[in-house]
This record gives sequence, structure tokens and C-alpha cells, in this order.
Amino acid sequence: MFETGPNWRRDVAIGAILIAVMIAIPFLGPSRYFIGQLTLFFLWATVVSQWNLVFGVGGIFSLAQMAIFAFGGFATGMMGLYLGISLWIALPLAGIGSILFSLLIGLACLRLRGPYVALLTLAIAQVMYLLIITDTACFYMEGVTCRNFTGGTRGLAKFGDFGFREMLGRREYLKGDYYLSLFVLTLAVVFSFAIIRSPLGFAFRALRDNPEYGISRGLNRFKYQLLVFAMSAFFTGLAGGVFAGHFRVIGANVLHLPLLLFLISMMVVGGLGRAWGPILGAALVMLADEGMKDFVEIRNMGYGALIVAIVVLLPQGAAGGLEQIWDWGHRQLLRLRGGRDPAATGRAEVRQRK
Amino acid sequence: MERTATEPLLSCQGVDKYFGALAAVRDMTFDVFQGEALGIGGPNGAGKTTLFDVISGLNPATAGTITFDGKTITRATPDRTCQLGMARTFQFNAGFDTLTARENTLIAAYFGRHNRMIPGMKFDRETQRLADEAMAFVGMDEVAHETVRTLPVYHRKLLMVAGALATQPKMLLMDEPVGGLNPQEIDEVMALVQRLKECGLTIMLIEHVMRFLVRLSDRVLIMHHGEKIFEGSASGLVHDKTVVDVYLGEGSSRRLQHILEDQPAP
Ligand SMILES: Nc1ncnc2c1ncn2[C@@H]1O[C@H](COP(=O)(O)OP(=O)(O)O)[C@@H](O)[C@H]1O
Ligand SMILES: [Mg+2]
Repeated sequence: MFETGPNWRRDVAIGAILIAVMIAIPFLGPSRYFIGQLTLFFLWATVVSQWNLVFGVGGIFSLAQMAIFAFGGFATGMMGLYLGISLWIALPLAGIGSILFSLLIGLACLRLRGPYVALLTLAIAQVMYLLIITDTACFYMEGVTCRNFTGGTRGLAKFGDFGFREMLGRREYLKGDYYLSLFVLTLAVVFSFAIIRSPLGFAFRALRDNPEYGISRGLNRFKYQLLVFAMSAFFTGLAGGVFAGHFRVIGANVLHLPLLLFLISMMVVGGLGRAWGPILGAALVMLADEGMKDFVEIRNMGYGALIVAIVVLLPQGAAGGLEQIWDWGHRQLLRLRGGRDPAATGRAEVRQRK
Repeated sequence: MERTATEPLLSCQGVDKYFGALAAVRDMTFDVFQGEALGIGGPNGAGKTTLFDVISGLNPATAGTITFDGKTITRATPDRTCQLGMARTFQFNAGFDTLTARENTLIAAYFGRHNRMIPGMKFDRETQRLADEAMAFVGMDEVAHETVRTLPVYHRKLLMVAGALATQPKMLLMDEPVGGLNPQEIDEVMALVQRLKECGLTIMLIEHVMRFLVRLSDRVLIMHHGEKIFEGSASGLVHDKTVVDVYLGEGSSRRLQHILEDQPAP
């Protein structure tokens, strides 16, 4: 069926192969560093796959995604620390909390457009950052040291982890976090594909392309704007919680601007609004980052150059470029089989009419 | 919800629309009956588009009441008026530019017919059928999979009509459907509107091209400075002194009379 995506079989096949490879990697004896970097990749790809729903598909320039991530991380950590509950229970609760948090942000942005949404959401993230690093009040005493509610500048810690250290031992525990992150990413990506290709995804894109025309064709702008904020929050919050459990600490540094730009560049490089864009973008940007690690002085310039190159040469992003190559190959194949090329006949018809 | 034959489908009573001190629409009162085609003319800035914005809910009225199909819609939002059966096209080429023509029409067919509390996972068969029928009706099935951004003006105009039809409207509001088209394309749109009339669809259309307006309209309403200066048959138009003075001018008035004489009044 055309609406579920002309290439859904292809996408399922690619997805299955990628997941199989990722499941196999820990068995091939990789370094701890490699496993750690892949775990981070899964978490960042999760965040951008959901951010892409708001930013790319919905065309709403929200910069609040890392605030939602931080909310999920802090909520997980605080529930573990102050309520003493297992992070496995805290994690889904934090995900649900993130939905509510994101809905509030969406509500605040409801009447704003374009750059004003970016300004307001950035301000929300900055306020959150300031509230955390200026938190100096004693919430509880640990021996003679005073601990803040949010962890303050040192970050929130001592809330435990997902128990993989006890289960798998100190040498192997990273693999537990690795598979947990992979699992969250898989769910997040399946979710984002389902949304993008459903009528809901078309509603988001319609309102992005032309809100006035969209509401004149039966779309309630407020409803779908709130929905896209809600839907993009759950897995983002989960990623924040897994991040906290993986590092056994969560701090205000996840709200730093360079990290936000790092994630935006993933979306842009991959292709805004495209289903495969965020994953491809996260992979490319992390690879580029890895490659530039040894050249600290040109690292930021390297990012800049990468983004400029993509925006100029491939405005549809890497996923858009690959999609064009795929379509071209597909047409050649149809032609060889003597099949009709619907796109080409359509164009011929237009030319005739003119 | 049975309406008697004499009850209008759309009724505007004393409708005003002010932008600050500017009265874009002032004291508009008129009815549109089932199966009728009402043409709206008038100079640029007369308030025609604003009248459509007010009726469809895009820009609500400052005063007055509007009823449609037995319901008061004065304060209804555009998504509601669309779902109640009022579909409009725009003077400028509105569309979902990054989507294909068929996807544009699918969205209209899915969301424009009734309120979707929780949208489903895919476009159902009925939606697909309605969208494909609408595309075929306006003659765009061959370019259904083209991206809207790349379509020529003629197709973009037709696509707005296809989207409107896919919502299964009781009434169609067309804002300058042939603006910017060449004479041959104008004739094709004229034939399309004629077919819609034959289907019994109630139509309100705004048009600058007078030959288009008088041939297709059962009744004509002329606006000037936000007010109604004429309402009646197209043949009465050329003899109305106010209309000739403020809008048509002597020359076009004579040309229009020739057109009307060639073509027997509907
Ligand atoms: N959103 C708006 N804000 C302020 N003035 C407007 C707005 N829309 C239209 N107008 C004014 O209302 C008047 C009627 O415009 P319009 O309805 O577009 O005329 P028409 O469609 O008959 O050419 C014009 O003077 C126009 O400048
Ligand atoms: Mg106008």
C-alpha cells in the first residue's frame, strides 16, 4: 500500500539487518570504549529520532528536546534516590512524566510561530539549567556533607543503576546497558516510522507545509501540535533515564548548548523530516566527531564544514540523497523489466498539456 | 436535520468584519440556496476574500450571524466548518508543497469529512477511493504522484478543487479559481465548474474574469468597499447604474452584454 510507505519492505529488511548486526557486535570482542560509544550512539539516535517528529516532520522549531531528556534523566535518578525504587520501575514512570512535561512546553508554544518557538524553548532549557546549577540548599545530609535536591553543580548521583554490574560482573556490565539502549532505540525508531507513515504523520507535515490550508481541510492545529509534543517525549525521557542509569550520574551538563548543536547537526545531516534521517545523521556525525577527536583545535570548524557541505550539496540530507539514488535504481529496474514508470508518464503528460 | 426547500443552505445576516477601523466587510446579508451558484464580483480590495475567510471561520466575523445547514457557524473554526460540509479553495496557490498531489487529497478526504478523535494507522479504503475519485474528477490522476511544489499553476488550482471535493462538501467556496490561467485553461475550469453544478453541488465563487462569473452564476452579488452594491441576475448587472459606474465601466459593460446575449440565461 502506498501510504504505509512505498518501500516499507525495504525498510523492514534494512532495520532487521541493522538490529542483527548490533546484537552481534558485543560477541565479536570489541573494546569497552567501542561498546560505550555505540551505547551513546543508541541514546542520541533515540533522542533525534523523536526530536525529528517535532522539528522535521512537524516543522516546529522546538529546542526543548534536551530539556525533556534531562527531565527523564533527573526523574529516574530522583525516584531511585529519594523513593528508593528500582530504576526499572522509575524508568517508565519518568517516560510518562516526560510526556506531561513536554505537553506543558507544547502548551506554552501553542500561539507562537517559527523563531519564537525556538527562543521560548531555549529559554525553558536555560531556566532549567540555572535552577540546577544554582541549587545550593541542603536537601539532606550525607554524614557531614550537604546534598542538594537536584545534585547542583556536581550532578545527581548515588541512585544506583540497572543492576547489570551485579548481574554480569564489572567486566561485562557495559553490555547490559548496551542492549538496553539498543532496545529503547529500536522501539523509538519503530514508533517514529509508524507515526511518520500514518495519517497522523501526514497531518503534522500538512500543518508544517501550510497551516492555513491544513485547518481548512479539517485539521485542528492545536490538537496536532500538542500531540506531536506529547508523542516525541516518551522515548526521549526514556533515553534520559537510561543515560542516567548508564553513567550512574545525571547533571546539568546535558543541557549545554554544544550538545544541543551536536544533536541538531545530526538531524540536519541525516535529513530533516525523513524517517531514516536521524539514525543516519547520528551515525555520520558521531563518526565525524570520532575522526576529529585528535584534532581538537579544528573540531568545531569540522562540524561547521560538515553542516555547510550537507546543506549546500544535499539539502534533503544524507537520507534524502540515498532515497533519490534508490528511486533512480528502482526506476531503472522497472524499465529493464519493461514495466511502466508512473512518475515518468506523469511528467510526460504535464509536458503535453503545456 | 431536514431542511425545507425554501430554507437557505447558507445564510449571512448583518455580517461585519473590521480590521481595526477598516470595514473589510460591512452589513452583508444574503442567502445561498441548495444547488445554486452564487457569483461574487467586485474590484480589488472590495472584501470578497475576507467574506470567505469570515464564512469559513479562518477570520471570524466582528458582528452578525452565519448559519449553515441549520447550524450557527459564526464562531466555528475552519476545521469544523470543513467537517460540516463547507469546502473552500484559495485565491493563491495553497497546498501541502512537499507532499504529492494524491497525498494532499488523501489528507483532505481523511480529516475533512469528520472529526478524527484518534487517527488510525493508515488511510482506509473509503478515504483512498474518495481521494482517487476527486483526482480523476478534476483530471489529475496522471500527475497524482508528483510533488505539489513542482506542479504548474493550472494543476495547483485544480488540486485545491480536488482537495475540496474529497471532503464530500455540501457547498464549495471558490476564490478566483481561474486567476492567472490562460484562456484555454479558463475554459477547462469553466467546464469543470459546470460539471459540479450538474452534480447538484451548491457553489459560491469569487471571480474577476466577468465572462466566467456571469456564465456560471445563477445569481450575482457585487461588493464594493465591503458592502453589497448589487444582488440579482447576471443580466440585471449590466443595466445597474451603480455597478457600471463603480466597477464595470461602460466598455466592459457592453462586452458583458454581448456575452450574455450569446449565452441564454440559465
Ligand atoms: N488580515 C488583514 N488585516 C488587515 N487588513 C486586511 C486583512 N485582510 C484583508 N484586509 C483588507 O481588507 C480589504 C479587503 O481585502 P480582500 O478581502 O482581500 O479583498 P478582495 O478579495 O475583494 O480583493 C483590503 O483593504 C485589505 O487590505
Ligand atoms: Mg481576494
